[in-house]
Amino acid sequence: MQSSIKETIERPPDWKRGFGERLSAILGRDGVIFADDELLAYDCDALTGYRIKPLFVVLPRTSGEVSRVMKMCYDEDVPFVPRGAGTGLSGGALPTDEGIVISLARMNSIIEVDIPNERVVVEPGVTNLSVTNAVSSYGYYYAPDPSSQIVCTIGGNVAENSGGVHCLKYGVTANHVLGLEVVLPDGEIIETGGKTIDHPGYDIMGLVVGSEGLLGIVTRITLRIIKKPETVKTLFASFDRIEDAGASVSGITARGVIPAGMEIMDNLCIRAVEEAVHAGYPVEAGSILLVELDGPQAEVDAQMPVVEEVLRGQSALEIRIARDARERDLFWKGRKNAFPAMGRVSSDYYVQDGVIPRSRLAEVLGRIGDLSKEYGLSVGNVFHAGDGNLHPLVLYNSKIEGEQEKALELAGKILGVCVDAGGSITGEHGVGNDKKRFLSLMFDENDLETMNLMRCAFDRKGLSNPGKVFPTPRTCVEQGMKPYAEHPLQKSGLGEMY
Amino acid sequence: MPESSIHNELTSIVGGENAVQDPHLLESSSVDGVIPRIVLFPDSIEQISEIMKAASRAGASVVPRGSGTKMGIGNKPISADIVLSTRKLDRVIAHESSDLVATTECGIALSDLQSYLGGKNQFLPVDPPHVRGGATVGGILATNDSGPLRFRYGTSRELLIGMKVVRADGSIFKGGSKVVKNVAGYDMPKLFVGSLGTLGIITEATFRLYPVPESSKTYIACFESVGKAHDTVRSLINSNLVLNAMEHMNPGLAGYITERLGLGSDFNRYTLAVRIMNVSRAVSDQVKTVSDISQKNSGKGLIIEARNEEAFWHEVREFPWRSSDGAFAVLKAGVLISDVPRVFLLLDQLSDKLGIRARASARAGNGIVIISIDGDGESVINSVRGLRELSESAGGSLVVREASPDIKPALDVWGGMGSSLGLMKRIKSAFDPGNILNPGRLF
Repeated sequence: MQSSIKETIERPPDWKRGFGERLSAILGRDGVIFADDELLAYDCDALTGYRIKPLFVVLPRTSGEVSRVMKMCYDEDVPFVPRGAGTGLSGGALPTDEGIVISLARMNSIIEVDIPNERVVVEPGVTNLSVTNAVSSYGYYYAPDPSSQIVCTIGGNVAENSGGVHCLKYGVTANHVLGLEVVLPDGEIIETGGKTIDHPGYDIMGLVVGSEGLLGIVTRITLRIIKKPETVKTLFASFDRIEDAGASVSGITARGVIPAGMEIMDNLCIRAVEEAVHAGYPVEAGSILLVELDGPQAEVDAQMPVVEEVLRGQSALEIRIARDARERDLFWKGRKNAFPAMGRVSSDYYVQDGVIPRSRLAEVLGRIGDLSKEYGLSVGNVFHAGDGNLHPLVLYNSKIEGEQEKALELAGKILGVCVDAGGSITGEHGVGNDKKRFLSLMFDENDLETMNLMRCAFDRKGLSNPGKVFPTPRTCVEQGMKPYAEHPLQKSGLGEMY
Repeated sequence: MPESSIHNELTSIVGGENAVQDPHLLESSSVDGVIPRIVLFPDSIEQISEIMKAASRAGASVVPRGSGTKMGIGNKPISADIVLSTRKLDRVIAHESSDLVATTECGIALSDLQSYLGGKNQFLPVDPPHVRGGATVGGILATNDSGPLRFRYGTSRELLIGMKVVRADGSIFKGGSKVVKNVAGYDMPKLFVGSLGTLGIITEATFRLYPVPESSKTYIACFESVGKAHDTVRSLINSNLVLNAMEHMNPGLAGYITERLGLGSDFNRYTLAVRIMNVSRAVSDQVKTVSDISQKNSGKGLIIEARNEEAFWHEVREFPWRSSDGAFAVLKAGVLISDVPRVFLLLDQLSDKLGIRARASARAGNGIVIISIDGDGESVINSVRGLRELSESAGGSLVVREASPDIKPALDVWGGMGSSLGLMKRIKSAFDPGNILNPGRLF
């Protein structure tokens, strides 16, 4: 591996000031943040353990401005980090100290709402929930619903390929993005996909979604919206043992029912949540499973008894079906406030994001329990059980010497357990800065090298969000920079030969 | 490199009986008239890797092939030295039924995979054409081919969660994972979906699956005008019905299919076919609603199920390949849902003006129109140009999926690839610096 860019660039002493002025010339004085105290607001995302103050923060208003800024960075070898609302949990928007942050916060217009064609076109700074708000009066909504949907941006969702509590049935961001305008790292503006589907050529859009800002900056996004279901029914069941809740989940899908969402919480989380929001969960239960069914009335009516039968078969203590929308919201309120509620139980906690096959839930939860005992640290379990996306919360006290390190080590071991069970190190939070050292648990050297080959076709200088995702810094080898080559026969005009 | 030396090398990799140079097989494996020098039948990913290493060293071009049902897609190749058949890689590697996930080798026929999954009452919800002709999972992925069910489930792109690929240099890599939710690393599998074998040989794929629905029914209704049919489409889209497929057919196609199946002779009009698959009660309730909505627009309809229904959808998938011997083209237009009627009206005009025969079925809720055109060569060529102009000026695309050999050279197969073409070419040269994989078929 070769050294990173910042060590190889030597700049003249007044370069920084001049660079700031050149940025101001593009964006106006109010489009660049220079002051140290203001820059501190951008030194981390929602993973606050890592902090780096950037050189400057820029706030472009148009894709043309984004392009000019990136071209200037590219010409002067300045790394840049794109940023939406900064709600990411993997340090994906962590700045680099020799580079700038490009905030898309001012590009927050909904450009077009096209109900007959079921499309919404937005700028990247538009929040997730405001897409749904823009179309809900027509009976439509935007399906991916990460917990931070009130504040997180569509641009950030695209970068992270965000999921949510309903992606078991409705898919993740990649299944709902139909078109992108992307500014490539060298400033070139391209379009991929659009309001229509099946464009010929490679699926550039599919690559960019989930690329964590390493392939460029998305400046316009075309989204698919879908109709709200006719009926929604939500229930929760309580169990003595969390393993029974886990077995219920694969039991339900094995019976041919795909719920809109299935969520599990263990006793530690139930107690924290009950105290915080009074969702009506039974505090003595070992765990609860929330199940939401949606669709045509007749379908939901037919599936509900199947679900109840599975739950009883797994020794559910109590099954409670929400009687109305108010009670349904209450059930969900508990789940959605699980992370903040943990703050009442523990001064510090670390959220993990592993994924496992549904059928291995019971076994993996057992292993997490063993690890928790071994490390002497509590682990709360609250997770998207339907798609096997675990969010173990490792509780610790940062004031106790060495406990944070111990917590991180435990969290890392949990990822090992997930991968051993045939799963993934991240389901929706992304690799970012935080999990890059674990990427090699899933991918061997050639897999990573192939990803890098693709990245080099986008960014041969490696300036777009550098230092993220890959376990070790990677540069672009000669092969990746070759211009498109004609086939030898194409060039020579020779006939058959091999 | 002398010819005999690479021939010996390839033969020693797969064994003599799997390296075929029989002239009949070579000719039947030709791509747009380009006849290969050898057809190889490797039976493992390791053999494919060795073949690619040898081909890379020799600069020999490689055409990946499953059952060969879609070899007409793309430009005529610049060269096609080796046809690499994946048909011997036909094992289902794992089917975790309680996870609704399966991993399979890519040379397996989709029909064989479905039979296997059907044992656990599950299926991969894609219904492209040529399934009875042996269409393989790898070929379906490489062309991102799909059928009417995409309205509910999307194409294989949306169902694919992991993949194993042999690159041009013979190295093997995997992307994605075996769980339904995963954002670790780039989503590399998507790059290979629809890449027409130009970036690597797809050897393994992992998919999310669905339970086989308990019941299925299809409602077919014909309308006085394209406008009335489209109004019905709009009402159906704007309802909260959960439909599995919704096809809008032109009179030429609807009349042809319904007559062929003996469903009556009233259907020589714009016709909708709506398929609902669900628990029985939800099917009958929703079919009733569909028929009510359709009757408001004076649609005259009937319900089909079981064998009739299967036969009907088979025809909807296969109709473009039932053309006559003359000049023909099979097209796929991608337009806005609201622009589908414009495509139909243009087809009517072209039929009147140029005397072509046009059959078309729109995935009405997706904005995809599958069109087959027959006629004299020049009229077909002019029709394709007219349709492309309409599609592209409306922000969409038109791809020539197949065309008779007499007119194919005169057609631009792909149309514009837009502002990302330069980036696509950089990706191609990064993955295949010697341009040996399907050279020229994409660009």
